[in-house]
Amino acid sequence: MADAVRIENLRKSFRLGFIPKTREILKDISFAVKEGEIFGYLGPNGAGKTTTIKCLLGLIHPDAGEISILGQPHFSYHARERLGFLPENPYFYDYLTGSEFLAFYADLFGLGRVEKAARIAGLLKLVGMERAAGLQLRKYSRGMLQRIGLAQALINDPRLVILDEPLGGMDPLGRKEIRDIIVRFRQEGKTVLFTSHILQDIEMICDHVAIIVGGRVVRQGALQDLVSEKVLFTEMTVAGLPPEAFHGLGENVSVQGDKVLLKVYEEGRVEAILSLVHDRRGRLVSLSPRTETLEDIFVETVSKQ
Amino acid sequence: MRKIAAIAGITFKEAKRDRVLYLLFFFAAVCIVAARVLAILTVGDRVKIIKDVGLASISVFGILMAVLIGTSLVYKEIDKKTIFTLLSKPLHRAQFILGKFLGLVLTLFIMTLFMSVIFLALVYAHTFRIEWPMLVAIGYIFLEMVLVTAVAVFFSTFSTPILSSIFSLSFVLIGHLSWGLELLIRKMRAGFGKSLARVLYVFLPDLENFNFKTEVVHGLPIPSSIFLYSFLYGLCYTAFILGLAVLVFRRRDFI
Amino acid sequence: MSGRYDDPADGQDMKPKIRISKGVATLLLVAFLVATSGAFAALKVRTDKIVRRKVPGSSIIYLPSGKFLKYATFGYSALAADLIYLWSIQYYSTPTIDDRFDHLAHIFSIIAELDPRYVDPYEVGALIAIQEAHDPEAAFKILDLGLEKNPDQWVFPFDAGHIALMQLKDYPLAEKYFKICMAIPGAPDFVQRLYANAIYKKGDLKTSWDTWLQIYKTAPDERTKKIAENHLYNVKATIDTGMLKEALRAYRDRTGRFPDSLGRLVQAGLLKDIPKDLDGKDYVYDPGTGNVTTVISPWKR
Repeated sequence: MADAVRIENLRKSFRLGFIPKTREILKDISFAVKEGEIFGYLGPNGAGKTTTIKCLLGLIHPDAGEISILGQPHFSYHARERLGFLPENPYFYDYLTGSEFLAFYADLFGLGRVEKAARIAGLLKLVGMERAAGLQLRKYSRGMLQRIGLAQALINDPRLVILDEPLGGMDPLGRKEIRDIIVRFRQEGKTVLFTSHILQDIEMICDHVAIIVGGRVVRQGALQDLVSEKVLFTEMTVAGLPPEAFHGLGENVSVQGDKVLLKVYEEGRVEAILSLVHDRRGRLVSLSPRTETLEDIFVETVSKQ
Repeated sequence: MRKIAAIAGITFKEAKRDRVLYLLFFFAAVCIVAARVLAILTVGDRVKIIKDVGLASISVFGILMAVLIGTSLVYKEIDKKTIFTLLSKPLHRAQFILGKFLGLVLTLFIMTLFMSVIFLALVYAHTFRIEWPMLVAIGYIFLEMVLVTAVAVFFSTFSTPILSSIFSLSFVLIGHLSWGLELLIRKMRAGFGKSLARVLYVFLPDLENFNFKTEVVHGLPIPSSIFLYSFLYGLCYTAFILGLAVLVFRRRDFI
Repeated sequence: MSGRYDDPADGQDMKPKIRISKGVATLLLVAFLVATSGAFAALKVRTDKIVRRKVPGSSIIYLPSGKFLKYATFGYSALAADLIYLWSIQYYSTPTIDDRFDHLAHIFSIIAELDPRYVDPYEVGALIAIQEAHDPEAAFKILDLGLEKNPDQWVFPFDAGHIALMQLKDYPLAEKYFKICMAIPGAPDFVQRLYANAIYKKGDLKTSWDTWLQIYKTAPDERTKKIAENHLYNVKATIDTGMLKEALRAYRDRTGRFPDSLGRLVQAGLLKDIPKDLDGKDYVYDPGTGNVTTVISPWKR
């Protein structure tokens, strides 16, 4: 199966400012997105995430590199007809109603009248905007705009869906809904490429990730490969024993009343503390092993650059 | 071409919401009606003043509409980033430009129609005839507006509304002073400067080709060949400007 | 993976059917630009050849009054004056507009109203009036307006006097203007001489003599003094030769021929004595023709 997206050695510099100064935004970007997977593209602000996406979409002309979408050159009609895009902080023609807005994009894809009506109805239901379809876009809230924007991205039933910060600015309920929709895409066989800051969401749904820092992809791979099951440390909360009792066994994080919160780095020491508590008639309040999260990886990767 | 029509459609919907359009239309209507008042102050043929002021108003305000609306429309798309979702669709950038241009032309056509109706009604009230030759003059005024619209769209593909407006209005000014350049050339000494000026003269716009106001008001005969040639001139120049706009727009990065 | 997206194009590195590379497309676009620009350039040359009728009778349809324009130009009246002036120069140098002089004075009065202190238009307007339109009345109108608006500018009565003197040979009119001109502070000295000369040409020799005497007495330098003296000589010579010629005519009427010398006139009782010129020299008399001239040209003394 072809890669849904393949980017090789992408480079882009901009000449900005009154006295043109060249800034190299993308230094050497290479990654691939397999069909049918959810791919997370993350990086700190200014790393070049949105620039990469815009190059992919033909909004920016790369200086060098090869980009292919579904095996075709990225600027070909073939590719464009099979992808859908939702930009960050979307803004649309605010005088159109939701339905008119979707109808316009349907026209751009040349959908027939019957198909157009059916598709629009289906999408409005999917994103939960049926009731607001007759309202002008200027009256939409941020979350509503995000949803109608998502509907627009799906108007052509695309194979590849590209989302730039789709979860930004949404409340937790909204974020869950969007996450569920994205997972449903995968079930339908669609490929999803999205950028995000919110690492918990990426961890929850992505199959593959790539981390971009300073215009370069510094780490990429399957999420489960990157994030090991290794336990970094164990957090234990114990009551009834003085903090000095744990000297040498665990690091005292905080003391509240008679409860002590400990960070224990070795597995053996966890056992030792448990025995201690049992012997001295203390009380174990909680025990939680902390595994490596994406956030840890991310912070480690970024700080290494 | 359905895509161009689709873009033209939303452009028209957006343009007709612009309040500047109606403000200018209001002023045009006021001027046309004011001609009636001015006519009272003249001795002699009153209708001439009405016709003259009326045609001049349609011309001036029409051009202003073309410039002000045209320069803001493309810029707004780029500024407000509505253009991102649009250009990521299977759409040539040329189709986008053409769609925007045609949507604008449609808007201006409707505005010109309304202004013409008021004007012709006023003339009718004085002469009790529908003066068809007026429509000829208005038709070519509209052609001039179409060309200026193309110029406005061209500038707005890369420049801010204020600068684009200034450039577009300069284009109109230069277009009406072509005869001045011709006079200058006649008085120049032969040489490189004169040849350069001649080349400039031929390629700079000559908007007087679309000006039949004087002939129509005075009932002068117009050589029929000029209708065709002026029309073709307008067509070719507009095509040229739109081609330039596409050329610039294609290479543009949307940061 | 669901079979929903089984696409025959899948997996193949297929080139789209019509492959127009970016470069070729750009080339086509440039060719299009060249073609259309060539087309409109050619059309422009063609339309230039078509003669459009100008409006007969009045190529300017409405002439608003200057006062109206002053309000209408919103405080940019000086700029408007400049533009109208520039336009007028072009307008008046276009020979094909037959009736362009019809409103000459009016147009320049508009310019005057918009910017009364702008000196050039008055002068040029008057010049056009005289040289091209052959309409001295218009010229005087313009210059009078100039003087009215700018009583401190001596050029205007000067130009008017000059026209009266040279073109119309209307010496009383010239005298009037030069007198006005002289009174304006800053007027050059020679205006006084023009004034005196106009009086002389007018025929009022006595006043002319007095005026030249005045100039002589108040001359600031030797050169002016010399000029004045020459003129005094001339005036005296004119008076004297006039007197002599009259006497000679009377003599001829009486005797049927001219006398053989001027002394005869005294003898005949027609004159009290024979005047001498300003240098004290005799006038030259030719008995054959009865002509009396000065021994030397007044200007070569």
